[in-house]
This record gives sequence, C-alpha cells and structure tokens, in this order.
Amino acid sequence: MGASAKPGRIERKLARWGVIFVTPSIIFFSIFSFYPIIMALYTSLFKKNLLSLKKPAFVGLSHYKYLFTSPDFWNSVEATFVFAMGTFLPLLVLSLALAAFIMSVPKAKRFFQMAYYTPAVISSVVSAAIWLLIFDPRGLANQWVNFIMNTPGIDHRWLANSMTVRISTMIVYFWKYVGYFVIIFISGLASIPPSMYEAARIDGADGWQSFWRITFPLLRPTVVLVSIMSMLQCLKTFSTQYLFTQSGAPQAPINVITLNIYNTGIRDFRIGRASAMSIILFIIMLFFTWLQFKLSKADDVSY
Amino acid sequence: MKRALLIFTLVLTAFTLFANGQDESADGPVTLEFWTHEDPNRDAIETRYVEEFMASHPDVTVNRVTHSSKKIFELVLTAFAANAGPDIFNMQIEQAYSYIVNERVAPVDYLAAGFADASDMINQYVDGSLDSVIKDGDVYGMPLELNNWAVYVNKRVFADAGLDAEKDYPKTWEEMADISEKLVLRDGQIITRRGFDFRYPYYLISMIPMVEQLGGQLVSDDGKTAILGDDAWIKFLTYMQEWGPNGRNLGSPTYKNGRKLFNMDNNDMAMCLSGLYQGARIRSDNQEFYDSGDWMIIPYPTFENAVNDVASNFYGQYYMVNAQNSAKDIKTAWALTGYMMGHEEEYLEAVNIVPPTKKLMNSETFKNMPYSNVFVDDLARANVVYTAENGAKMEELVKEAVESVMLSGISPVQAHATLKAKAQELLDEM
Repeated sequence: MGASAKPGRIERKLARWGVIFVTPSIIFFSIFSFYPIIMALYTSLFKKNLLSLKKPAFVGLSHYKYLFTSPDFWNSVEATFVFAMGTFLPLLVLSLALAAFIMSVPKAKRFFQMAYYTPAVISSVVSAAIWLLIFDPRGLANQWVNFIMNTPGIDHRWLANSMTVRISTMIVYFWKYVGYFVIIFISGLASIPPSMYEAARIDGADGWQSFWRITFPLLRPTVVLVSIMSMLQCLKTFSTQYLFTQSGAPQAPINVITLNIYNTGIRDFRIGRASAMSIILFIIMLFFTWLQFKLSKADDVSY
Repeated sequence: MKRALLIFTLVLTAFTLFANGQDESADGPVTLEFWTHEDPNRDAIETRYVEEFMASHPDVTVNRVTHSSKKIFELVLTAFAANAGPDIFNMQIEQAYSYIVNERVAPVDYLAAGFADASDMINQYVDGSLDSVIKDGDVYGMPLELNNWAVYVNKRVFADAGLDAEKDYPKTWEEMADISEKLVLRDGQIITRRGFDFRYPYYLISMIPMVEQLGGQLVSDDGKTAILGDDAWIKFLTYMQEWGPNGRNLGSPTYKNGRKLFNMDNNDMAMCLSGLYQGARIRSDNQEFYDSGDWMIIPYPTFENAVNDVASNFYGQYYMVNAQNSAKDIKTAWALTGYMMGHEEEYLEAVNIVPPTKKLMNSETFKNMPYSNVFVDDLARANVVYTAENGAKMEELVKEAVESVMLSGISPVQAHATLKAKAQELLDEM
C-alpha cells in the first residue's frame, strides 16, 4: 500500500508545480487572447457603433451574411491570400536555403546571423517607414533597379500600381521576417547529429542526397513550426499595408482583412461588423494551422 | 477550491472599489486631461494659458498632452470607446461630428466659457462657422480654427522656368495643368520638380469643390442620393486621370507631401494647396524664404466652363468637452477652453490660425496678415466640408475613385459608376 502510494504523491507534487508554472501563461492568454476572442464573437452578433452609448441591437448572423455577399470583403480575402502565398512560400524556402548556407560557412556564421536577424528586431511600423522612403519615386528602389537593368529614368511605380504595390508589401515582409526564420532553421539544423552525415558519407551519399534523405526529414518538425508561424504572420499582416495606404498607395490591391477590420471598426465605427471579420479571420487561421499539422503528419522525430 | 473562491472574491471587491475611485466630490480638486494635436507654435502659447489658468484656479490641475495630428483621431476614439476619453480634446469637424450625434460631448457651458447664452456665442462668431456643431439649439464645440485652402506660389520656381508668377499664375484648373507642364522637371518618368500637386488625403475638402464647380454634388441636399451630376464627375475624374502618371504625369499621391517641400524652397515644388496657417510654418521652417517676399497666395482656381463659383471647402478644428464627467469638471473644462480662446489675436499672430470670431476677422491684425484677403474672398464662395457619420467612409470612396483613374488604369466612366453604386449603398445603410 505504502509502496504504491509514494509515486502518486510525487506525481501530485509534480502536477502541482506544473499548474503553478502554467498559471501565469493561462491568465495572460485568458485576458489578452481568450477573452477578446469570446467578446469579438459576442460583439459580432450585434449592430454596435463604437461611439454610441445606446444598447446595441442584436442582429444574429446578419453581419456574417453581409460579409459573405460583400465584394469588398471578398476583395480583402483575395488580397490576404495573394499576400500570404506570395510571402509565405519564399519565406519558407529561402529561409531554409539561407540557413543551410550559413551552416556551411562556420567562419562567417555569426555575421550572417546578425545581418539577417537585424530587421526582425525593428518594429513593423519603422520597417514600413524605411521602405516607404526606398519606394519613393526618387528613392533607392528605382535607382537600384534602373542601374541593374540599365533603364535610366523609369519609374517602376512601387506604390502606384496594383501589381507592384502588392509585390512591395511582400518585399517588406520578406525582408523583415526572413532572418527570424533563418535563426529557427539554424537551431533545427544544429540539432541533427553530425554522426548521421558521417555515416551517410561513408555509405557514399553526396551532399544533395544527404540534404533530401537526412536533413529534410529530420528537419520536418522545424519546417512545420516555421510554416505555421510564417503563415499566421502573413495572415495577420497590417502595419505595412496601413502605412502604404496612408502614404498614397491604392487601397484595393492591399486591403487585407486586418486593414479592412481596422477601417470598419475604427474609421467607420462599425465594431459589430469588424468583429465578425475578425472571427472569420480567426477561423481561417485555425483552418490553416490544422491543415499544416495534418499535411505534415509526423510532427515528432527520433534519431 | 474554497481558497481560490475567496481570493477571487477579494480581487473582485478590490476592482469594484477602485473602479469608482475616479469620482470626485463636488468640492474636491479637479484634474483635467487635455489632448490636442502637435503644433509647436500653438504649444508655446497654450502651455502658458494652462499655467495661468491653474495659477488663478489653485484647485485645478490640467495635464496637456499633444499627439500627432494623424494619430489623435484614433487615440481619442479608442479612449472614448473604453469610456476613458480625455476631458478636453480638439478634432476636425468631419471626425468630431460623430461625437456630437452620439452624445459623447457636452454642450458649451456658456457662462463658464464667457458668453451670456447660446445666441450670444453664435453672434460672436462668423456666420456659418458654428453650424456643424449646433444640435437642438445648443453649441457643442468652440472653434480653435476655421480653415479654407488657397494656392501658395513660389515665385523663384516660376522665374526659374522663365515665367512671371505675378502675371502667369493659374486662374483656372486648365491653366493649372498647362502651367504645371511648363514648371515640371523630370528625370525620365520620375518627377524631380512639380508645378503643383493636390493634397491627396483630403478629398472632401480639396476636390469635391472641383466637382461642384462643374455642377456635380457628393450628396443631395436631402441626404438621400449620392454622386449627382454624372457628367461633372466624369469630367473631374478625367482631369485627375490626365494629371496622374498615366496621363500628363504632373503629380501623384505617392510623391512626398507638396506643402512640406514648398516650405524648404529647394526648387522642387512651385505651388501647393494650404491654409493661412502655412505662413507660420514657412516662417518656422525657413525664415529666409518667409522674409524674401518670393512667395504669394492666389485664389482656389475654377474650371473654365464652371457653372458654380465655389472655392475650397472650409473646415474647422473644434475644442470639445467630454460629457461623461461631473458637472464641475465639465464647467471647469469649458472655463479653461473659454479662457484660452479669449486670446484669439495671439492665436492668429503666433500660430497663424483663425479662431473665426467676428471681432478677429474684422481686426487690423487679421487684415494686415499677408494675403489674408485671399482667404476671406475665397471663404465667401466656399461651402462647409461634408459632415456626417459616414464622412470618413465617403472620403475613402472618393479616394478610391480618384486613385483608380490616376494609378490603376480604370476609365473615368467605370470609376464613376463604381463610386456611385458604393456611395449610394453607404447612404442607404444609414
């Protein structure tokens, strides 16, 4: 009896410490994430003016019905997906490639890590402001491209054309976040035991085969992590599009869902409709997270 | 579990007690939170007024906070949404209007602010300048400034292009485009010097009058129909298409704000649109240029075949007082506002802004301000900017239409049709 009771006490003690350690996070998430999500869901069922002191009218699902038939909202969905796909895939592929490159040059490893990571510590607003100067018609973007392509005097309209303004927002985001994901990939690469490569080399595998047969499968958990994180980052992009439209860029091509939420809630005071949009965005993000877990299948790996 | 319940109850009790902590007794001290937009020239005089007011009212503490003019709208809005708005704030009337209709601001305490009653206050201001802030006979805002815009001209740039600004300045929008063509310098497609460019974020103030000159309207007088006068709108949008990079390439919303370049006199901006306050900003940015006499102000142009003689719309910045306060706080807030605005001549001299009192507008100080007559003459043919709860969204739709023809290659007919449909839907939703 005594022998069987002892492990139980230890387990209970460990569990108690577990609860103590987890409690601050649960409280934090409850206040800053779960509560706002539940409130947004509740608010989305009402016609509520942000400034009005009157009791909001219950409208049920009518905001959702409106949004699903609104060309403006579908344009935002399209703008969000174009941005997410145009940024997420290059981020994933190139951050992995850059991480592999950095791992292959141990002497310059620290320099490259710092160089790539620096933009990640700059706030989104500051990075968008820097790129606004670069994309100015008289700015560096036109000068560089015209120098490289030998096309003096051409205005590539980085912020003035529907297509280029989309590409410009993708460039800003890629520049800002690539270093962050490179660091995560480097951690993943560093955790693969060197003995695996030695064994493969002895068996006659070349570098390409080692990458596809050893690195990539063993890096799968990191790839899943980076793909989920980068996809979520892309879906909730806001600052770049906001600053660009404030500086004269056309809104429709980059009117991502978050920007539409801001304009609907803050500019037009329609907080009920804005909440419905945010719930839809939340569901989209949830779906993509689930899909990526599902597609990756194995999210754990053993050596 | 019992212990957790006890802690929860204690926390809840503490929150309940502290939540009521900001109530002040009728006899206690008053603390006022005063938010306004940044303006270095105004900061100097208002800081002094606040100090003087606190010296004469020892029980009053005023915390004057400045915010960027671009940010103050959303900061005040989010503060009010959380029922924690500032006691005194100022805002442009297009944005402030919603605070009045949603009963978030208190009517002027006339006696505290230095007036006998509502009609006394209305009589002391220029006709029409308080119309936007009057509801059910009460006035809800005290004007800090009333603005209309005219065209600032750099004579040196005209001379550099072989023109005489005094004789060659544009009187019509057609001349504006032709003269800009002579003034503009380009490196290939990239403009390095603009003749003139519009103030793009402010479509309701600066561009709707162009449509009205041609016989169009944004919204019908009864407020039920949007985008009236199809030909006028299409002609206006065609003009803007020609102005942009796909047309004569004279300017674009993506170039740097013209009026900021104008002050620096770097031979890159010949003309810009701004209010009387721009004079003080030129003085503060570039004293040499201000004193040189090489700039002048001309009236807002009209189209050659205009059917209405209208100038740039006028708008106001109004001081308002939070209604969610004790009667004592509201009274003190209006007393401070009245005290500050009693120095209207100093606002004009130090900041170049015009609190629109009849006394000031008829004063020698105002008449002696450089080119103040241009603004007064234009004001006589100006309308107040569109003010409604959907004003910001309406501006966004006009912006979308103008930018679609200037930047996205959409035809004026198509842009007009889209604008008309969306603007009508917006009105119908109200």
